[in-house]
Amino acid sequence: MDSPLQSLPLFMVGPVPIMPAVVVTWAIMAALVLGAALLTRRLTMVPSKAQGLAELLVDTVDSQIRDVTGAAPAPYRAFIGTLFVFILSANWSSLIPGVTPPTGTMETPAALAALVFLSIIGFGVREGGVRGFLRGFALPNPAMIPLNILESVTRSFSMFVRLFGNVMSGVFVIAIVGSLAALLVPIPLMALDLLTGAVQAYIFAVLSMVFITSAVEKGEPQLKEA
Amino acid sequence: MSFDLWTLGFQAVNVLVLVWLLHRFFWTPIAGLIADRQAKASTLLDEAAAERAEANAALSEIEATRTGLAEERNAMLAAARKDAECVRDALLEAAKAEVETLNDTAKAARVRAAEALKAKAIADARGLALSIAGKLVARLDATATEAAFLGWLRQGIAGLSEVDRKALAISDLEVVSAAEADPAAQDRIAAAIASALGTPVPLIFRTDPALIAGLELHGSHFTMRNSWRADLARIAGALGDKDALPDGP
Repeated sequence: MDSPLQSLPLFMVGPVPIMPAVVVTWAIMAALVLGAALLTRRLTMVPSKAQGLAELLVDTVDSQIRDVTGAAPAPYRAFIGTLFVFILSANWSSLIPGVTPPTGTMETPAALAALVFLSIIGFGVREGGVRGFLRGFALPNPAMIPLNILESVTRSFSMFVRLFGNVMSGVFVIAIVGSLAALLVPIPLMALDLLTGAVQAYIFAVLSMVFITSAVEKGEPQLKEA
Repeated sequence: MSFDLWTLGFQAVNVLVLVWLLHRFFWTPIAGLIADRQAKASTLLDEAAAERAEANAALSEIEATRTGLAEERNAMLAAARKDAECVRDALLEAAKAEVETLNDTAKAARVRAAEALKAKAIADARGLALSIAGKLVARLDATATEAAFLGWLRQGIAGLSEVDRKALAISDLEVVSAAEADPAAQDRIAAAIASALGTPVPLIFRTDPALIAGLELHGSHFTMRNSWRADLARIAGALGDKDALPDGP
């Protein structure tokens, strides 16, 4: 049995290896975008069941953002909501036989954590300016600058490791149990994996929002002082 | 364990592209629709509130109008009641006047009826008295009766003044008797009158049964009553009922 931590490219495009996680991500992207396009093509004031579900999702994301930040959700909705939907879809893709969830490999959670890290910088700079954002590292005093910089890196790294570890462990456990026991035995573990995947998607999205909000709030006092 | 940077880059770009695509095809349209619905709902609520305010205002206006109508109705009722009272008073006055008129008319009618009854009773009494007197006379001796009345006639003429007797003696005298006087009786009567007047006078004899009994002497300007009818009339007059036995012809 190959290590679940190691994946082989499906094919090569010149020197560029195309991993299964990338292909599954493309499939997930295609399904999500196609479904969204079909759903939003005929929006009505009296919603259908699918439209009602979509509106419930948007409203839930908005209320979560509003609860965490206390601000209007529009600037953060697309990024936070897409992170949640993508991670949830990627985690639940493990239900399809033969598909390894993209979040079960290190590259995808790392890419997501990197995007969150960059988005913290981007939203912080946009709200407080470069100086305001950088001054946020000197709070509560300049002696904390190294620690704050280290914290900003490590909390993104912790998000990467948390997501990767939970999903990978779930895949790993199901694979081991499936190889040892009968066909139906892994089903309870797969149900647990569904719950874990939903919880991890929610945690990743909420933590991203919390970190972004923290950066934005740190930049605001600088603006007021200026 | 391996970590492929190409895959890291692919996944980062994939997620960014997905963020952009879902932002375009999912989040923005759905959020816009929700905002539109909320705006429309807010507008509908505002319109409903405005319509409710208008309805309340209209209701207040209707209440005011209804109050005005009630006051107007009360005023009209009061005026109608006052008119009705005036009409009732007028009708009562008219009815009272009519009742008084009817009472007066009925009283006059009663008086007239009583008078008519009284006159009829008098006439009946007179007829009855005549009938009684006639029956009494029929039982008396006609000759004695004639003599008695002739004597009373002679006494009456004798009781007149000399001037009256002379005036009688030159006037046309009419002797009225209750029963037709035969020639012998006429001669006795003429002799008695001539004796009383002191001179014979021409006499005309006439019969009037209404006298019941007696002899009366009628001149152009003189009448000497000497009959039961005259006696009954005097008696009735003495009793205060002058109409009980009216004078005969």
